[in-house]
Amino acid sequence: MPAVSVRGLVRSYGKVHAVDGVSFEVEAGEVFALLGPNGAGKTTTIEILEGFRDRDAGEVRVLGIDPGDRRSGQRLRSQLGVVLQELAVEPFLSVRQVLERNAGYYPAPRPVGEVIGLVGLTEKADAKVKTLSGGQQRRLDVGLGIVGNPALLFLDEPTTGLDPAGRRTSWELVRRLAGEGTTVILTTHYMEEAEALADQVAIIASGKIVAHGPPASLGGRDQGAATIRFQLPTGVTPDDLPMTVTGNGRSVELRTDRELEALYELTRWALEHEVRVTGLTVSRHTLEDVYLQLTGADPDRFQTDSASEAPVRG
Amino acid sequence: MSTRGESILPRRSPLAELRLVVRQVGYEQLSFWLNPIGAIFTVGFALLFLLMLGASAGSSRVSYLHNIKLVQYYVPGFIAYGVMAASFNSLAISLVIRRETGLLKRLRLSPLPTWTLLTSILLSTLLIAFAEVVLMLAVGRWAFAVQLPSGPSGIGALLVVLILGGLSFAALGIAMSTLIPNQQAAGPLTSTVFFVLLFLSGLWFPLKSGSALANISTFFPIRHFITAVFRTFSHPGASAWSGHDLLIVVIWGVVAAAVAFRRFQWAPRHT
Repeated sequence: MPAVSVRGLVRSYGKVHAVDGVSFEVEAGEVFALLGPNGAGKTTTIEILEGFRDRDAGEVRVLGIDPGDRRSGQRLRSQLGVVLQELAVEPFLSVRQVLERNAGYYPAPRPVGEVIGLVGLTEKADAKVKTLSGGQQRRLDVGLGIVGNPALLFLDEPTTGLDPAGRRTSWELVRRLAGEGTTVILTTHYMEEAEALADQVAIIASGKIVAHGPPASLGGRDQGAATIRFQLPTGVTPDDLPMTVTGNGRSVELRTDRELEALYELTRWALEHEVRVTGLTVSRHTLEDVYLQLTGADPDRFQTDSASEAPVRG
Repeated sequence: MSTRGESILPRRSPLAELRLVVRQVGYEQLSFWLNPIGAIFTVGFALLFLLMLGASAGSSRVSYLHNIKLVQYYVPGFIAYGVMAASFNSLAISLVIRRETGLLKRLRLSPLPTWTLLTSILLSTLLIAFAEVVLMLAVGRWAFAVQLPSGPSGIGALLVVLILGGLSFAALGIAMSTLIPNQQAAGPLTSTVFFVLLFLSGLWFPLKSGSALANISTFFPIRHFITAVFRTFSHPGASAWSGHDLLIVVIWGVVAAAVAFRRFQWAPRHT
């Protein structure tokens, strides 16, 4: 049984179709990344999965439970972990107090000391929340997300505002949780984050999923023409090369769908003439290329997030 | 990749949920008292008012109110004020802040049952209000030699009036929070509404019945609440109950609870 299955999900606010027929599945233990511009329907989709928002149509099962069914809401929520974009922590309690309080809401919480260690706040365990830096508060937020030992963890832009070291720490944590069997659904604006963490990626635009698959092959980026880039050796002009290249200055590139042959010619030529070729790379579309292509470069196509205007289940 | 089977969780027993309430009230209290400036301001403001006004009242008497000492009006008046400040003013502001910072959303997404959370917030608010009441009763008794509610009927009446009033003004506070769009507006909007109504309701000086202000203020719950508290301080022999005033306060509370129930939001409203 998949951890999450969504079929034909629809949610409208007035005339705006925030989510317009979205379908996907997330297997247990998988890391699933939902990408898309602001207002594309990511947050609405996730809030429906969390049982925080009602849907208009579609079939949704989260850990075998219909999140729209309020009778099983508590059973569902005791197995969910949620990390929100807001820094939502009481300022005057200590890190340990906040985690201990929330641990008490769950039937089988993770030991608080272990959580503090996992998010790297051991030295700040007894500090008041308001004395933490922004990055530390963010990590405490993640700690609150995992203290209930969830089977399914939602991470809404988990590393926004973190420095590179903090981001790496968070990535390690996500990998570790996934390794323990926790299913993770995350949203992010960082393509390298999706590429580093996700087993499956879905790109959502204007309420529809426009691409879905493993990040390495999303949108057919593993097929089609490749780009070979390298630095021209000193004393060599593009005319000396055995192939036609484009580029300005010493950095040149060529696009080809026969990259193996092109590389063979280039390296044979370099060895015969005893010149050093540096900075050699071969690449296909980056995930970002695919993303920008699929979501449209025109920012006006997407409306700003109207989700927060809409009524929430009360 | 290992996977985890779905755990079958039994529902919590009522006793376990009650324990959850007690625990949550504990953390609410901790959160309140660990913010010393907020705590001193909330609890101390009413006390400061009472001390200043009580001292300046000296031995003045109110000729149109059975010629009682003015301070005999101020002590119950500021006890009522303290309860209203905690349950209307502070609660409305803190709920807006919790909503807009995402605290309410996070709690809503945790398995803590909603009723447990709301009950804990109400109980915690009442506890803070009662701390103020006890302080002011002590000041009234020892600093101003005021006649306190006495006997089982007087003390019983005071408790009932404070609990029903506290809950009603808490409902008004929750309803008020649903009308406030953002964190920045919470303090100014709530305090303006509160202090204008306090002025109209004669907290600083007892209203002469039949006067224009007295007629306006009969519509709002504040004057009725002050009167209901005041009556519990009456001389032995006179009735400590003012059922009519208490009823109007409770009606406001019930209407506010209905508004709060319909309009309550968990998610931040900021765009």
